[in-house]
Amino acid sequence: MKTAAVNKNVRSRRSLSRNDRFTLSAFVGIPTLLQIVFLWAPTLITVVLSFTYWNGINVSDIKWAGFANYKNIFFGSPVFYDALKNNVVWLLWFTFLATPLGILLAYQFDRKIKGHQIYETIFYMPVVLSLAIIGIIWNFMLQPGGFVQGVMGRDIGNAISIWGNYDINSYVIMALASWRHIGYIMLLYLAGLKAFDSSLREASAIDGATEWQTFRKIIFPTMRPVNVIILVITIIDSLRAFDLVYIIYGTSTAWPLLNILAFQNFAGQGISMKGAAYSVIALVLCVVPILVYLRNVFKEDLQ
Amino acid sequence: MSDVNNGISRRSVLKGAAIGGAGLVAGGSLLAGCGKKQVTGDVRFTIRGNLSDAGAKIAIAANDAYTKKTGNKVISQAVNSDDFQNNFVQILQGTPDDAFGWMAGWRTNARADAGLLADVSEQVKALGSSLSAAAIQGATNPSDGKQYIIPTTYYPWGLHYRKSTMQELGLNPESIATWDDLIKLCEATQKKGLVGYALGDKGGWEAMGTFDILNMRLNGYQFHIDLLNGKEQWTDAKVVEVFNYMGQLAPYMNKNVLDISWDGMRDLLLQKKCGAMMMGSWFANDFLAKSQEDYDDLWIVPFPEINPEHGIDSIDAPLDGISVAANGNNVEGGADLAGFLGSKEGIDAAVAAGDTSIYISSDFDTSSYDAFNKQKLAVLGAAKNIGFFLDRDTRGDFAGPVVGPAIQSFLKNPKDLTKILDSTQAQWDALPAL
Repeated sequence: MKTAAVNKNVRSRRSLSRNDRFTLSAFVGIPTLLQIVFLWAPTLITVVLSFTYWNGINVSDIKWAGFANYKNIFFGSPVFYDALKNNVVWLLWFTFLATPLGILLAYQFDRKIKGHQIYETIFYMPVVLSLAIIGIIWNFMLQPGGFVQGVMGRDIGNAISIWGNYDINSYVIMALASWRHIGYIMLLYLAGLKAFDSSLREASAIDGATEWQTFRKIIFPTMRPVNVIILVITIIDSLRAFDLVYIIYGTSTAWPLLNILAFQNFAGQGISMKGAAYSVIALVLCVVPILVYLRNVFKEDLQ
Repeated sequence: MSDVNNGISRRSVLKGAAIGGAGLVAGGSLLAGCGKKQVTGDVRFTIRGNLSDAGAKIAIAANDAYTKKTGNKVISQAVNSDDFQNNFVQILQGTPDDAFGWMAGWRTNARADAGLLADVSEQVKALGSSLSAAAIQGATNPSDGKQYIIPTTYYPWGLHYRKSTMQELGLNPESIATWDDLIKLCEATQKKGLVGYALGDKGGWEAMGTFDILNMRLNGYQFHIDLLNGKEQWTDAKVVEVFNYMGQLAPYMNKNVLDISWDGMRDLLLQKKCGAMMMGSWFANDFLAKSQEDYDDLWIVPFPEINPEHGIDSIDAPLDGISVAANGNNVEGGADLAGFLGSKEGIDAAVAAGDTSIYISSDFDTSSYDAFNKQKLAVLGAAKNIGFFLDRDTRGDFAGPVVGPAIQSFLKNPKDLTKILDSTQAQWDALPAL
């Protein structure tokens, strides 16, 4: 509120006391400075380095490479397209399956169906775990010699191939990631629905709208701010995916993702700025659609 | 490099001057390496692994022996081995410990060229004839002819199996001399319901051992090394042949190659679920940790001959040793400790603490070896050419990010071979000059 007033005219800014001004500039300045130092500077450096050859040791060894790293990735590295495919599958899965499921659950629980608290708890439980922990848990369960294999009487020699079976491993990984994502989205949406004016729902019921009509025409549009947040979270979570897969496969790119490729080229024995290029590609994919979308949203709001 | 060394000796001179006797110490450090010069000061040593590991206890025992001999304190800290390797470059550019166990080959030479490792040629020279010419050759950086690692131990890659399993099957792996023998052995093992040729490649490096040996057997050591250094092409028919041989082994492999890593391979053997397993012998410690009985049951034979022209004249035998950080606080002390660890006194202390590694030094008395270690020596002795394993024989930005996925793709989809090799070569060609 205050910032709006500050922007509006200069006079009101003068009315701020010295103390206020100090507080305000500290509140804005310190986080901005930290952002620039710890986020923007490394990001910009990564972008610049992605156009160079460098082994990460002596700054004097940095050599200009032009678009060579990108050319190498786009035309010479088939693993890049595998990674891109996996990231896109992840995004589609989240967008069309996991996120709608979370919203649906939230909608049902908000209507206080019988035993909704128990269900809520069940679906919420995985949200307290990080994806890395989920990876550790399920790797322990499913890997050859793991718990589930043991229960099924499979030893390491004849264990059912899951992580190495390319007909199913993507689905298993998606299911594990969704396990957490569904609960997360459910929680966000539920919080939104709590703030929802129930008289709108009653009004639509009086007008004889079906449940589906009520949801589609009344609730969903009214929940727009929450929808935007959920969409952004879904896109970012899909494209920044790393930890779950890293726990299962390590730096080996047996099931590659963009961020795994970036890490593989940064860590370990052979540091190469191809890693920087992978990071930049992931960043662009992450940020551009979100910026475009948010711009549209804010434009509509202004109108 | 000479800049770095000058910087170091200047610094140590200044430090020495602060302690006392400026002129004397300066004179002394000019004579550094003349053998008898007394090196002083605390030395910091990185132990790769957990402090509770057998390896850490051995390292500490050897370091204590150094302290006893020289009066210089050694401060050891344990660091997770994977973390240390992954962050090696960053660690060495920061405030590294003075000395640490490291691996010969590209991983040493490239870091030495970048000025991160200190020259230990003097210490290698001081070890004299206890090191064979081949060991010194292996530890030498080709770009300047100096050594940046004191070679200490090594181990062979070969076919491991359990004597008891083979006995029950009525098979004798000692007698496999040719490729056909190996296939027959795999077939017979498989017929009894076991895995013929145990392989895992989830980690992306395990199957490199099989690739290395097939390439060396079929095309010889020189071709293998040239291929890994860009002097031969991956699209060469000879390389296609290597993968065809790997394909011949595929039917005898476990069906979950891409599901298991090296530890899964180890467990297959430990649980008597497989016949032959191609691996470096270092995992034998885990057998010993399980029980003496399991360890005594373990055996290794060389991979059989395929091409009579090359016989069994080559082997992967990664050479390990001690390196010294150029950025350490006490570079001279680190080098002195490294030299000690490679000497008879250092080895004796390590062995007394329970080290079962094969030491490369001829000062080391091999008569105390157990049967398995003697067999390891025999396997090593059969070979004339020593490779260090693919990820130490070639560039780090090629081995892990390119060759690893290429072999995985082949194991996943052997029909794609042409495409895989084309892309491997294209990615080599796209690497920046070093």
